[in-house]
Amino acid sequence: MSLELYQEYVEALEMLDDDLRFEYIIDLGKAAPETPFPEDFMRDENLMHGCMSRVWIIHRVEDGKHNFSGESDAVIVKGLVSMMTKSFSGLTADELAGITLDHVRKLNLGALTTQRQVGMMAMLKHMQKLAAV
Amino acid sequence: MTSNQAYDVEKIRADFPILGREVYGKSLVFLDSAASAQKPRQVISAMVEMMENDYANVHRGAHFLSQVATEKFESAREKVAQFINADKDEIIFTRGGTEAMNLVASCFGAAHLQAGDQVVTSVMEHHANIVPWQMLAETKGIEVLFVPVDARGVLDMAVFEGLLGPKVKMVSLAHVSNVLGTVNPVEEIISLAHSKDIPVMLDGCQGITHGKVDVKALDVDFYVFSGHKLYGPSGIGVLYGKKDLMNTLPPHQGGGDMIETVTLEGTTFKESPHRFEAGTPAIVEAVGLGAAIDYVSSVGMDAISVHEKLLLEQAMAKLSALEGIELIGTAPNKVSVLAFNVTGIHPLDVATVLDRQGIAVRVGQHCAEPLIKAMGYEATIRASFGMYNTLEEVDKLVTGVEKAKMMFGA
Ligand SMILES: Cc1ncc(COP(=O)(O)O)c(C=O)c1O
Repeated sequence: MSLELYQEYVEALEMLDDDLRFEYIIDLGKAAPETPFPEDFMRDENLMHGCMSRVWIIHRVEDGKHNFSGESDAVIVKGLVSMMTKSFSGLTADELAGITLDHVRKLNLGALTTQRQVGMMAMLKHMQKLAAV
Repeated sequence: MTSNQAYDVEKIRADFPILGREVYGKSLVFLDSAASAQKPRQVISAMVEMMENDYANVHRGAHFLSQVATEKFESAREKVAQFINADKDEIIFTRGGTEAMNLVASCFGAAHLQAGDQVVTSVMEHHANIVPWQMLAETKGIEVLFVPVDARGVLDMAVFEGLLGPKVKMVSLAHVSNVLGTVNPVEEIISLAHSKDIPVMLDGCQGITHGKVDVKALDVDFYVFSGHKLYGPSGIGVLYGKKDLMNTLPPHQGGGDMIETVTLEGTTFKESPHRFEAGTPAIVEAVGLGAAIDYVSSVGMDAISVHEKLLLEQAMAKLSALEGIELIGTAPNKVSVLAFNVTGIHPLDVATVLDRQGIAVRVGQHCAEPLIKAMGYEATIRASFGMYNTLEEVDKLVTGVEKAKMMFGA
């Protein structure tokens, strides 16, 4: 399976100290999404529940590969959702099911509170659920 | 210490060990006391001392330690009673504010509410004063009426008065809003309700921490607060209930300590407060709450209130001097709870930048979703100032907000 983008994020984050990691996520959030998230997908059925900010994730399957795109009304969360959806797009449902907490941890977001990491785990679970149905 | 300060805040801070710690290599600036306040060493030591020397179950043993523990536990009840000018047997210990309000809703509901009866509460309530009534609406068919707030976050008293019809059997309102900081006109509320023989419960979770409360002078029927916001431990709360009224209510839970006699055919219950305290209570926490009350009383609730007013005024003035700051809750009578947003920046983004500066604020709906929506928001930032916060910390908050504005370009 190809986790090329994921590896790029891991390597980029490894080189940074906490403050810079924080700014890196913000910059990702400001830049995201590179493929624009269509306004009309910011509907309640695409909303992920239980977040301090609103997070929408949409999902497409092409040739058995699952692609995701996400949006949030908070910039930091948008950075995270963009990193998560880009990292884990292009996988089969089985490959996606094999992504674990350790993958998320390696994104090494020491700069962010544990609550944000919990949020990223929730994003992963949400994506796995979307791909499983 | 400048002359208009109520006390030497540095001396107070020295009593709170946690305030000396750092987060992300920066000194902690704790502006989330409305969610839960930090604890002075006096509270911590009283709890440790209890567990190291004086611990046993209460009201049960004939042995020495049980009597010592019972005396300490009951003396904590006495301290709570004195603190709010109640009688000792009108103080019921609960797990917190939430449990106290659920107890009243459920027991008062069982004894005095029928289908079609109405309970008046407001849009500014914490969920703990909305959901228990909504649950009664489901199970008993009562109706819940909500007093609206205006743009400043002030209760609409004309509507309140208008709502007090013949079907209203209970008024349950916040003493102070946990989001807006609004101090409600509780004397007026109580006298209007009593003029129609309607009892009143006040959610004092935020009211108890910012000034003197006298339940007798207020003539309030039920007053509720939690220990953990009053610089005491979590896991302990207080329900004050007028004795005659409490004795009309059935028990909340059944078990040990609340009964007079139990036979296999049935049980007779003790009077309040023990009727409402089934099982082993939060013994150590009650003693901790007693120590917290000693502590704030030694500083003086009036002095604390003067100190916090100063912090609030400075914070409001300095924040509103920045461009794009929306203060949420500008009631003329307001305590040091300050909700705000920065135009164009998500509150979570602002709070995360503040967090990186070591500044702890709350973000979200603060367990008051209907209010946040009524004020026109999805979420807000909330800074709340306690007895130990300083003017320098107000400045750090303002600088942090400026930094967030810079980072997110608003
Ligand atoms: C106004 C108000 N009511 C009720 C509560 C709930 O209290 P507790 O957390 O002690 O159950 C809180 C605190 O969260 C509050 O601020």
